Amino acid sequence: MTPFSMTPSPLRGLALATALALAAAAPAAAETKPGKKFTVAYIAPSLDISYWQWVAYGAKTKAKELGIDYIELDSHNSPVDQMTNVRTALTRGVDAIVMGPVSSASTPPVLRLLKDKNIPVAFTGIGPQPGETDYTSTVTANNYEAGREEGKFVCGLAKERGGNKVGMLSLPQDRENAQKYLKGAKEAFAAEGCDLVQVLQTKGLTVREAVDQTNDLLTRNPDVKAIYGMYDEAATGAAKALQTQGLVGKVGVATADGSPTTVRLLREGVIQGLFLQEAGGQGIEAVQQVYNALTGAPVTKELPLPEPLVTAKDIDSPEAQAKLKRVYPPSAGQY
Amino acid sequence: MTDTIAGAPVQAPPVRPRRAGAGTRLLRVYRTEIAIAAAIVLIELVVSLWSPQALSFGNLANVAQASAPLILVSLGVFLVIATSGIDLSVGSTFSLTGMVAGLGLSAGLSWPVACLASLGVGIGVGAINGALVTFVGLAPFVVTLVTFAVGASLAFVVTDGHSIAILDPDFWRLNGGTLVPGVVNYVLFCIAGVALLEFALRKLVLGRWVYAIGSNAKAARLLGIPVDAVRFGVYVASGLFASFSSLMSLSYISNSEATSGANLMLQAIAACVIGGASLFGGTGSAIGAMLGAVMITVIQNGVNLIGINSFWQGSVTGLVILVAVLIDRFTKARA
Amino acid sequence: MTTSAFLLEATGIRKSFGATSVLRGVDLRIAPGEIHALLGGNGAGKSTLIRIASGSLRRDAGSLSILDDGPHPIAVVFQELALLPHLSVAENIYLPRLRQGFVPVRAADRRKEARAALAQIDERLAREALDRPVAEIDLHERQLIEIARALGSGARLLFLDEPTANLTFAESERLFAILRRLAGQGISTLLVSHRMKEIRAVADVCTILRDGRTVVDRQPLATLDDASIVEAMGQKAASRAAPGPSTPCSAGSRPGAGTTVGIEGQGLSLTLEPGTILGLAGAPAGPGQLIDALVGAAPDSDWNVTMNGAAADLRSPARAVRQGIGYVSGDRAEKGLLTTLPILDNVVAATRVATRRWLARRPEATVAGDALARLAIKANSVDDSPLTLSGGTQQKLLLARWLEIPPRVLVLEEPTRGVDIGTKREIYALIREMAVLGTVVVWWSTEFPELIEICDRVIAFDLRGEVSGVIAGAQVNEVALARATGMAA
Repeated sequence: MTPFSMTPSPLRGLALATALALAAAAPAAAETKPGKKFTVAYIAPSLDISYWQWVAYGAKTKAKELGIDYIELDSHNSPVDQMTNVRTALTRGVDAIVMGPVSSASTPPVLRLLKDKNIPVAFTGIGPQPGETDYTSTVTANNYEAGREEGKFVCGLAKERGGNKVGMLSLPQDRENAQKYLKGAKEAFAAEGCDLVQVLQTKGLTVREAVDQTNDLLTRNPDVKAIYGMYDEAATGAAKALQTQGLVGKVGVATADGSPTTVRLLREGVIQGLFLQEAGGQGIEAVQQVYNALTGAPVTKELPLPEPLVTAKDIDSPEAQAKLKRVYPPSAGQY
Repeated sequence: MTDTIAGAPVQAPPVRPRRAGAGTRLLRVYRTEIAIAAAIVLIELVVSLWSPQALSFGNLANVAQASAPLILVSLGVFLVIATSGIDLSVGSTFSLTGMVAGLGLSAGLSWPVACLASLGVGIGVGAINGALVTFVGLAPFVVTLVTFAVGASLAFVVTDGHSIAILDPDFWRLNGGTLVPGVVNYVLFCIAGVALLEFALRKLVLGRWVYAIGSNAKAARLLGIPVDAVRFGVYVASGLFASFSSLMSLSYISNSEATSGANLMLQAIAACVIGGASLFGGTGSAIGAMLGAVMITVIQNGVNLIGINSFWQGSVTGLVILVAVLIDRFTKARA
Repeated sequence: MTTSAFLLEATGIRKSFGATSVLRGVDLRIAPGEIHALLGGNGAGKSTLIRIASGSLRRDAGSLSILDDGPHPIAVVFQELALLPHLSVAENIYLPRLRQGFVPVRAADRRKEARAALAQIDERLAREALDRPVAEIDLHERQLIEIARALGSGARLLFLDEPTANLTFAESERLFAILRRLAGQGISTLLVSHRMKEIRAVADVCTILRDGRTVVDRQPLATLDDASIVEAMGQKAASRAAPGPSTPCSAGSRPGAGTTVGIEGQGLSLTLEPGTILGLAGAPAGPGQLIDALVGAAPDSDWNVTMNGAAADLRSPARAVRQGIGYVSGDRAEKGLLTTLPILDNVVAATRVATRRWLARRPEATVAGDALARLAIKANSVDDSPLTLSGGTQQKLLLARWLEIPPRVLVLEEPTRGVDIGTKREIYALIREMAVLGTVVVWWSTEFPELIEICDRVIAFDLRGEVSGVIAGAQVNEVALARATGMAA
């Protein structure tokens, strides 16, 4: 549940190439109608990842609301597939493109291709390569700011529990968003007087891995009083490990992202804070921006969305509920 | 030409009248396994130099819990490898059957029913593998690559990629309950699985057939051994072990994810090879496969406890496999 | 009706594969306690008959009755050894008898039975080898284990196809002694062999097939002389009349191949003029080491090889080929044929290495076609698999590899193993032809008659693999070879 997809496995890619090619093609074909209506294409880096499905959901919902036709394409984490998808979208005569690029580095050829076509393009989750300017808007999460906020919150959790040692379950640090989160968090820990004793990076992004890592983290550092989760599965796994060890409440947990699972854990008091990354919100805003461009309305080139905190106390407030609805669709689970 | 013994009757070498003692024979049969067990102890001792908690009960319980799913999957994979086949599909079978169980539970099935459904899917995948390999005569690598790909994609298809939180209040008992007083189920199932399989492989005719087929399938067929039936059986068993393992894991972390088995396939094959199985078949043991799985987990645990960047885990595991294989080869060459 | 005295009685057996009629009325009768030789040229139908008699192939017509005396009265001891290398000797013997999967093996009891079966064959083997994995057992003893397994399963009739192909003289003698002993206990053997001498030594009666028909039906061997046997098999006894050059020929005829080869080692120093045919005789150890050295498979060997006086670079097989050393092994399946590649690639494989040319060019097909035609190899197409050819023809195919180069030295390792007499003759002629063109031929054979017939000189090795002498020209005879190698009767 993160805007950067997992390391692509060629085999799995193969699997999904088959299944998702079919899955993506069918509804898209049904939705393309002749007429004067605008059509927007959402090109996802990998629809294996729920995060991108939720972005897609947001984009689709907003498109419907604005009366725009919507098609969806999956790049399977491959820059080559991504280029193919852009060409396919052009062939199908779309008027605007919203894309979560496979990586920042993969964007220049896409922008070069779109340059003379006069088609607005908005990025979600991952921004374009620095220096590129020929795009309509980039809608991202403010990872650095969110990292600071969450760092401050987690340090507070540790202090409430009579300590200052914290541990981190991190996304792979070769990712730009992970580096930004970590940078923000480290600054906050330093400012608040907390000690980050261990950073464990995930490889598979599974709950199982996070459980084992939390166990190892607490074995090595029994005096850790709070855990910083950088991705949704981290908190789910940490919660499970704490439940098994009878440490619920004694060790605090907060995480970025948010999902039905972590929302439930928040309500149950197993974890203490969620910094919502508005996946659906990114899709909504990106479609709004290209629509503005098509209709001549003003656009915002850089649109960093905040990652608002929700806690067990305010989760049922109308404000928090509204925010949650900008994260995941109702089909994913309860808010 | 100059030797004087040439004409003398050749002295018969001293005759061993009886077989070697039971202990000596066990030592010989389980030479590799004993070496791995010693290596595991050694690794733990080395890790405990950095992190004394490594040998604590809590950490050992964590290692046992973390290795349980891998052990169960490896047992099934070992059966296939022992017949000189290969099963690449276990990882995706693990994911898929976990998703099936999760779906069943969230649809309101009681957990034993959901488990049966899940086991049925595992057996089904194994039966497809087995039928294509034995009765159609396709190469195991190709067949299981296909079922791997299809299984991985179906794991996403069944729930549209969403992960499912398991809320059934009793399901945890499958993993964490105690069928036999004093022994947690996951330990019990692993030990029982290994013991039963080892017994069958050593003491039942069926087990000897497995090795016979792996040793020389053509000869086995000429000898009238039911090669096709046994081959079919091992693939079914592999699917069954993968799905059972998935249920255990699901019962523990109470969260089913479409990617949960992503790393398992290579780890399980590695576990078998570390445990003395040859990819050409005919060698190895269930105990070896278990120890291989434990060793992989112990390395992961050790890397985290020492605080090495987890990106190095793959390298460390790889090197340990290489060392294990080299030692095995070296000692065999001398024996 | 068929309650006759015969253990196996087959009459009028017919079998066709598609349009090819392989058996066209074969009779075979085997009595209890006899050693029965089944003779016939390549393609006469011997293997098909064995497969039908042992029940692994259905016959089209004819009757087959077996004196049914147990569950597995007939056991085929396969040419390609049908053992399970990772399992113990004992287990190899008893496992095939266990037909139920979900029952305990009860290994201790089974082991006793296996031991009893093996002790019938060889007491020492039964004592020492029972618990060792088959992979650790000597090749020739594995055959004994197969026989023990057959006996353990209650076999009354053993089919042995070329059982001595991989055996030394002493090992063959041991096997024959066992077969004779079993015959005394009423167990019969059907023996397929191309070695006339051993057939005469061991078999009582013979049946000869030609073109899918029985031409000699169960006749005592004593009543047949060699010439009539060869004639019955349809191969001209006259082929012996093609004599080779008795003296080494000069290098004049083909300058490219005229190389003088020196071999030094084990206190021996030999100079081989172009066109010399050097024989190697003895148990596998000695000739094997020299051959490995020559073909670049033993870089650290004690043997030194020179060519025209200069040391040859034999540090790898590829270097050896580029130095002009060709190699044909009798172990076609393991060391010779590229079984998954078509005949074409098999023929030109050596040329490609020798000339360092890796891009297959069109003329290769022509070259290969010519080579096949010269050797009278009947193949439908050079694009077929070499496995479509019979064993003898496969061997000729391996020789064809070197025809076009031609090599300065041609190393042959039992090239006539498992080949019928007619094909042997063709191979002899081919070897002589290459010698005439100036190639130095180094040839290991376990059959003394062919060494005597073809070779100019023979290096004899004793049983420990050490050189026991060099025999030249007219002194090459059976007595001298036997004395030097310690292998003859």
